[in-house]
Amino acid sequence: MTETGITAELQDVLSFVSKQSPFNELPSACAHYFVNHAEVVYLTVHNQDDALQGEERYLYLVRTGIFDLVDVSGEVVTRLSTGDYFGYPSLLTGEEIQNQLEVQSPGLILMLPQASFDYLRHEYKVLEQHFVRAHKKRLLSSHYKERSKGWSERKISKLMAKSAVVIEPQATIVEAAKVMQSEGVSSVMVTEDGCLKGVVTDRDLRNRVLASGLDPLMPVSSIMTPEPKFIFENNRVFSALHLMLKHNIHHLPVLNEARVPLGMVTSTDLLRLQNSDPVQLIGQLYKASSTQELKLLAKEIPVLLRSFSNTVEDFSFVGTLLSGLTDALMSRLTELFVKQHGKAPCSFSWICFGSQAREEQTLDSDQDNGLIFSNDIKPAERDYFASLGEFVTSHLTECGIRACPGNIMASNEQCRGTVDEWTARFHHWITSPTPQAMLNCKIFFDRRYICGDHALYQSFNAQMNEISTQELFFAAMATDISTNSVPIGLFQQFKLQRSKDKSKYLDLKTRGIAIINDLVRVYALKCGIKHANTQARLKALKSHTILSTSDIYNLRDCWRFLTQLRLKSQITAQQLPANCINPETLSSLERHQLKEAFHLIKQAQQACVFKFARGSL
Amino acid sequence: MFLSSLGEVYNFMKWRFPWFFGHGTAGQRWLESELVVLDLELTGLNPARHEIVSVAWVIIKRGKIVLSESRYMLNADVQSLAQSPVYHGIDEEQLKRGASLEGIMNNLAGVLKGKVLVCHNTQLDWSFIQTHARKFGLEIRPDYMLDTLKIEKSRLLRQRQEVGQDQLRLPACRRRYGLPDYQNHNALSDSLATAELLLAQVNHLDAEKHIKLSALM
Repeated sequence: MTETGITAELQDVLSFVSKQSPFNELPSACAHYFVNHAEVVYLTVHNQDDALQGEERYLYLVRTGIFDLVDVSGEVVTRLSTGDYFGYPSLLTGEEIQNQLEVQSPGLILMLPQASFDYLRHEYKVLEQHFVRAHKKRLLSSHYKERSKGWSERKISKLMAKSAVVIEPQATIVEAAKVMQSEGVSSVMVTEDGCLKGVVTDRDLRNRVLASGLDPLMPVSSIMTPEPKFIFENNRVFSALHLMLKHNIHHLPVLNEARVPLGMVTSTDLLRLQNSDPVQLIGQLYKASSTQELKLLAKEIPVLLRSFSNTVEDFSFVGTLLSGLTDALMSRLTELFVKQHGKAPCSFSWICFGSQAREEQTLDSDQDNGLIFSNDIKPAERDYFASLGEFVTSHLTECGIRACPGNIMASNEQCRGTVDEWTARFHHWITSPTPQAMLNCKIFFDRRYICGDHALYQSFNAQMNEISTQELFFAAMATDISTNSVPIGLFQQFKLQRSKDKSKYLDLKTRGIAIINDLVRVYALKCGIKHANTQARLKALKSHTILSTSDIYNLRDCWRFLTQLRLKSQITAQQLPANCINPETLSSLERHQLKEAFHLIKQAQQACVFKFARGSL
Repeated sequence: MFLSSLGEVYNFMKWRFPWFFGHGTAGQRWLESELVVLDLELTGLNPARHEIVSVAWVIIKRGKIVLSESRYMLNADVQSLAQSPVYHGIDEEQLKRGASLEGIMNNLAGVLKGKVLVCHNTQLDWSFIQTHARKFGLEIRPDYMLDTLKIEKSRLLRQRQEVGQDQLRLPACRRRYGLPDYQNHNALSDSLATAELLLAQVNHLDAEKHIKLSALM
C-alpha cells in the first residue's frame, strides 16, 4: 500500500493540515507527506513530560486543546490553540528546547519528527521561510525577556532585611528616637491600628525638632511626614527607585497587599544593589546651592549613564533615569530663581513635552518644556515668568540638555500661558490639522508635570479632556504617521542613508522608534489614556479593544528592541549622526531582528491608517 | 470456541481474564505496550453470514499514534457487497484492486502477535477476525484486548450516569473529550478516531500518570 493511499483515507486529518499556513500555500503533496509521517498524542498535564521529552525532536501542531508556552522565567510567551505550531526553534537551531508547555485544556497534537521536517524544509523553501520567520518573531519578543533578570527586576520583598519598626502616633518624639536607636535604623513608621499614618526620619529629628527648638515630649505625630509615599512588597526594585527619584525621598515604607507595613527600603539599600549612584546624584542636584554647582554635577550625567547602562538590564530605564535627572535640574533651577527673584506672583507649573515627558530621553535629546500659570495672572506679572523661562532653559542648555531647535522652550512666549491659553492652543491644533499642527500634536500630546503647583496642572489636564476629539483629527494623525516609512526595501534589504563622509547608516529614531511613539499616541489619545510614556500607554491599551494583545506585544517588543539598539550605539559612539547605526556592525541575529521589527512597524502603520483614515486617503 | 489442550485453556484464561492471574504482564504500564487499534468494515453484523469489506489499523507506541505504520486493506474476495456501497462508499471496482482475504488475515496475524488489540466494540470485530482466520487455518492471538466502548461505558457508569446505546457510539464518545468530528468514515479514519479516543480516555483516567493495562480491561 502506498503512502498517499493512507492519507487519502485520513481525509479529515489531511484537510486540517492542508488548511494551516504554510501548507495552504504549498502543493498538496506537502500536506500528504506531513500526515504520512506524523505521530499523534493526546496531551494532558499528566503525560506531557512523557510525551514531550525524549531524544527525538519534533515540530508540533495543535489540533485541539489549549496550551501556554512558558519561558524559563515563568512568563507566558504565547498561548497555543488549534492550528498553532511549537518546537520549531529547536528544530531550526539544533539547540535544546528552552520553553515549557503548560496544558490549559488537554487535546490532540500532531508531531512531525525532525527528519521529516528537515526533508520538507529542503524540499519546500516556502515552508522553511515560514518557520524561520516565525522563529525570528519569537526571538524578537524574547529578546527583552532574556536580559530582564537584573537587580532592577527583583522584588522589593527580596531586598528588605529588617522587619517593620513602628511606633504609635501618641508616643513622644523622645520615644521615637529611642526606638530608632535601639533598632539601629534611620527611620520609623508611625502606625495606628496597623495602618501606616506617617514616617519620621533622622533628618526630621534634626530639622523639625532640634533646629526649630521643638519640645521632644510632643507626640511624634506632630513631626511625622503624613501620608507618605509607599510601595508594595511585590513591586520591583525598579519601581522603588523610580518613586525615590521622582519625589526625592530616601525612605520608602513597604506594605503587603492588605496594606500592613512590612518594613522600609532606603536609598542606601538600593545603592548597595548597584555600583553607580543615580539616586545620590539626583539628591545632590536637589541640594545644589548655585547654578555653578548644578553645572558641575550635570557633567557627571554622561559618565553616570555609561557606567549605569552596563549594570542595568532594562534599557528603557536609562531613559527614565535621564528624564528624572532633567526633572531634578529644572526643579532646582526654579528654586534657585525664586531665591534670587522672589516668589512667583501667581501659581504656576512646569510642564515638559516630547521625550522628557515620555521618559525616554537620551543624551542627544533636546529640551521641550513650557510654563503654565493661573488664569487670573495680571499682564504685568507675565514678565516674571519670561525671566523664569529664560533662566531655567538657558542654564539647562549649559548643563548639557540641548536647546530645542524648534524653540519649544519656556523661554519662548508661545510656550508660556495660562490654563485657558494652553487649552485654546491645543484646541486650535486639533480642529485645524495642518502639517505644522500635526507636528505640534506629536510633541505636545506627550506631556508631563514636573514641578510647581500640581493642582494647576491637573486643572489644565481636566480641560484638555473636555476638548472633543474629532474623527478628522485622528484621520489626519494616522495619515501623517503613514508618510514616514520604515527603511526596508521591497526585497527585505535595509535602505541606508549616507552621511557627508559617505558612511552609510540607518536612523533608528525617526524611522523606527518615533513611528511607534506616534502610533501608540494616536491609540492612547483615542482611548483617553493619560500616560505620556509609550510603554505605559501600551500597557494601558490592554484594557481597551482598539488593539489586539498580540499587536500590543509586537509594538512593545519592537520599541524595546530599537530603544536598546539605539542606546547601545550611543554608548559606543560610532561617529555617526545621533540615533543612527551602521547595520554592518550588527550581529546577523540583530540584523534579522531589526528587519522583523521594521516589518512589524510597517504592518502597524497600515493597520492604523485603515482604522482611522479609511476613505480619506 | 474450540480449545485443544490444557495449555491453550490456560493461555486463553490468562488472556481473557488477566485480573484473575494477578498483575502478570497485564500489569505492564500501558505506555510500554504496543497497541494495534483496528477497525473493520462489514457487510453485516453476523460473522457466519457476512463478510469483511476492508481492514485498517493504526499503531500506538509509547503513547503516540505512529501514522506511518498505519495500514488500510480492501478485501478483493468479497462475494456480496449487499448494502455496503451505500454505507462505506466502496464499490466492486475498488475491491478488485484490493488484497486476498488470506493475505489480509496473514497480515493481521503478523501485526497482532504479541500486541494489544483495540477496537470500538471489540467483540464484533474480534468475532469476524476469528471466524475468517479459521478458514485459512490461521490462529490470530494478540496478548490482550481492549475495548474503547467498554472503557467509556464503565466510566459513565462510575459517574452514575444512565448509559444509552447512542451515547456509546464512536462520535458521541469523542465529543465527550472535545475531540474533533470526523466527516469521512472508512476503516482507517475510524481506527484513527478510535485510537485518539483511547489516548483521551487513558489520559483522563490517568491521574497518577503510569496507568497499567489491566486498569483498562
